[in-house]
Amino acid sequence: MVYIVSWDEFVDRSVQLFKADPESTRYVVKYRHCDGKLVLKVTDNKECLKFKTDQAQEARKMEKLNNIFFTLMARGPDVDLSEVNGKEQMETQPVKKGRGRKQ
Amino acid sequence: YNSSSFIFQRPPNKISQPDGFRRAADHQILYPLCDSREKKSLQCLRICKEYTSEVLLQLDPFLNELTSMFEKSKEKGSVWVTLKRSSLKSKLQKRKLSSAGESIEYRCLIRATDAKKTISTSVGAKDHLRFQASYATILKAHMTALKKRERKDRKKSTEAEKKEGTSTTTKPKKL
Repeated sequence: MVYIVSWDEFVDRSVQLFKADPESTRYVVKYRHCDGKLVLKVTDNKECLKFKTDQAQEARKMEKLNNIFFTLMARGPDVDLSEVNGKEQMETQPVKKGRGRKQ
Repeated sequence: YNSSSFIFQRPPNKISQPDGFRRAADHQILYPLCDSREKKSLQCLRICKEYTSEVLLQLDPFLNELTSMFEKSKEKGSVWVTLKRSSLKSKLQKRKLSSAGESIEYRCLIRATDAKKTISTSVGAKDHLRFQASYATILKAHMTALKKRERKDRKKSTEAEKKEGTSTTTKPKKL
């Protein structure tokens, strides 16, 4: 189990791993507040990808990865991942509608 | 427990397991041991099963329990959260559904543990957006011990390094 240094490589490889075997791939997050450490692991019980960090900015990136995995796992591995960004747009749209009604 | 009533003997040519303690995952298939060791290992199994039993909750109670786990683990300990795709059906049920021509509905299984207890919940395609948002809020609120990298901090740390630096470097080096 080697720790991957590049965040983007970790994301790409873990999504690839999931799409190759959605039945057995799992995504694990371990957080230790006392040490201020965050470790992410994606494995299909044959191959294991790990990423560790103590930086807050990586935690923000991890939230995006969480969204990706939630979408993939709840909807299926064939989901188009550009929808993940599309959700953020959907969240902003109702705000505009509200302004229109007030007028 | 009467040992002869439910212990099945495995054929000798299968891979042998180490003697003594049995993992909680090995159900009732055990190797025959001498009586007192058998009793102890069964006891261990029962205790293990109590500790490792997983509680399946609805979405909101799960989020509340997750929050309390994070709060309890502030001084020491870890919190693990696992995400996995699952249909929550056994192999037999899956076979029946696929032979009947029905599609198997998959959900996202989310497990959280703090090594003392485990909680879980499953999220379907309809509620995953709402859950995602609440989950992200909880994480943001609790993952506060991570270091924040600011440019000001970098400057301060490089200045500190200069002060502590060895006599060989007199001019600041640009990386």
